[in-house]
Amino acid sequence: MRERAGIVGVGYTGFSKNSGVSTLTLALRAIRAALDDAGLSLGDVDGVATHRVGDSVPAGVVAHSLGIQDLRYHLDVFGGGSAACAIVASAAMAVASGAAECVVCWRALNARSEFRMGGTGRAAPDAVEFQYQAPYGLATPPQLFALVARAWMDATGASEEDLGHVAIAERRWAADNERAMMRSPLDLDAYLASRFIAEPLRLYDCCLETDAGVALVVTSAERARALRQPPVLIRAAAHGGGHNLYSNRRGDLTRSGAALLAPRLFAAAGIERSDVDLALLYDAYTPLVLMQLEDYGFCARGASGSFVRAGETALGGALPVNTHGGFLSEGYAHGLNHVAEGVAQLRGSCGARQVAGAELALVTSQPGYVSGLSSALILGRGGR
Amino acid sequence: MSAPAPRRAAPPPARERDSEEWWQALARHELLLQRCDACAALRWPARALCNRCGALAWSWQRASGRGRVASWIVNRHEFGSGPESPYVVLYVRLDEQDDLLLPGGFAGPADGAGLAVGRALVAEFEDLAAPAGEPPLALLRWRLARA
Repeated sequence: MRERAGIVGVGYTGFSKNSGVSTLTLALRAIRAALDDAGLSLGDVDGVATHRVGDSVPAGVVAHSLGIQDLRYHLDVFGGGSAACAIVASAAMAVASGAAECVVCWRALNARSEFRMGGTGRAAPDAVEFQYQAPYGLATPPQLFALVARAWMDATGASEEDLGHVAIAERRWAADNERAMMRSPLDLDAYLASRFIAEPLRLYDCCLETDAGVALVVTSAERARALRQPPVLIRAAAHGGGHNLYSNRRGDLTRSGAALLAPRLFAAAGIERSDVDLALLYDAYTPLVLMQLEDYGFCARGASGSFVRAGETALGGALPVNTHGGFLSEGYAHGLNHVAEGVAQLRGSCGARQVAGAELALVTSQPGYVSGLSSALILGRGGR
Repeated sequence: MSAPAPRRAAPPPARERDSEEWWQALARHELLLQRCDACAALRWPARALCNRCGALAWSWQRASGRGRVASWIVNRHEFGSGPESPYVVLYVRLDEQDDLLLPGGFAGPADGAGLAVGRALVAEFEDLAAPAGEPPLALLRWRLARA
């Protein structure tokens, strides 16, 4: 499905700690903004796709609220950070197959004011393994990813300062992103002084709990070339698995699902890893950025910390990473804000944080931990 | 055996049809694994199918109760349920097989002093007070093996 579909519109609500509105309203506002961005109207939409974890309005309610009379494609996935790229990939497949012509993809969540990942207001996850961990007080994502981080740091020699430099680098990017929730500079002293959530992860290793809606419009490549925005095409997509932390014939906690997915993704795109101009790497927790730099093959094992510290993920570096400030500093919309930033970079519309001449962007979802699922996209600037 | 630790509203295990016998055994202070009747591979948690050979037939086998630290956290943030912070949660790799990983509590310092990846552990069982009419409950707590 290489370059069969494109992302022609992106839309956001603001990122905040309290949206003051329902997830339905967040979804509708983001979708409307994305359609405006694309120069399309409600009547153009014939498909809907979202992902959620029991914390957002069902896709069918949104489809009705959009007034879609003949809904030709729908996807309403149970999933969090693993699923964002997957729903865009599936929407692209729906377009490529002819099932639908124009699919809106969104994620709408009040993850700070209503349904915090830490547990407040949230039912137990829909995971059979939860029974084996919750009685020990192991119930939330930061705790689970802290377990992964400890094992990975032990195996690779990564230090707490290495984690800190990821948070610092993303904060630096966020200074040039007016959408970002956290824009004031962060230094290593402030990082090290931040309190532990679950050792080895500190507060600044963790993403921002955020209220937000983000939407994308996916349509055919042919139509993308005719619409108002510079065309950004889906060059390749890959779904993957990963380590759910339980027995899965995977003894090694320290190799993420990205290691298996990456070769398939680059092959499907017909590119070399070195062709990638920037990467939007799933960063709910700092160590995931380092792990993915290694498991997607940009760094040798154990070398990602020095790569970040040397400024290689900053503007002008070898691989700019999370140019919007990521989930750590822009906000945590579960993943679609990574896709949206990739689109903006490939349009060349990122202003002070623009990666010069960006033609190919890697966008990743969570590399398979806990959920056992992963996904990723290669986006490319398309010709007219 | 360890005395039950004081707890706030740590959720009881949401046992289900696949896991019920495993939890019953744990309450008897037995740590069980499934062994495939066809290829003898071990597995945990309870699953109907061997993911190595595809066989459906299996039997319970008692584990040795020995393992090693695969990872651990020291929880510092109050998430609203669970033990009082700080507390340790271990991820234990059982000696029986490389991919048998399971969470558990730590019968040691609340700040995790003495833990390191690869340190040898021995299982202990912690009885929990079951609500009236509910089946008995126990959890795993691991202590450092004597060197």
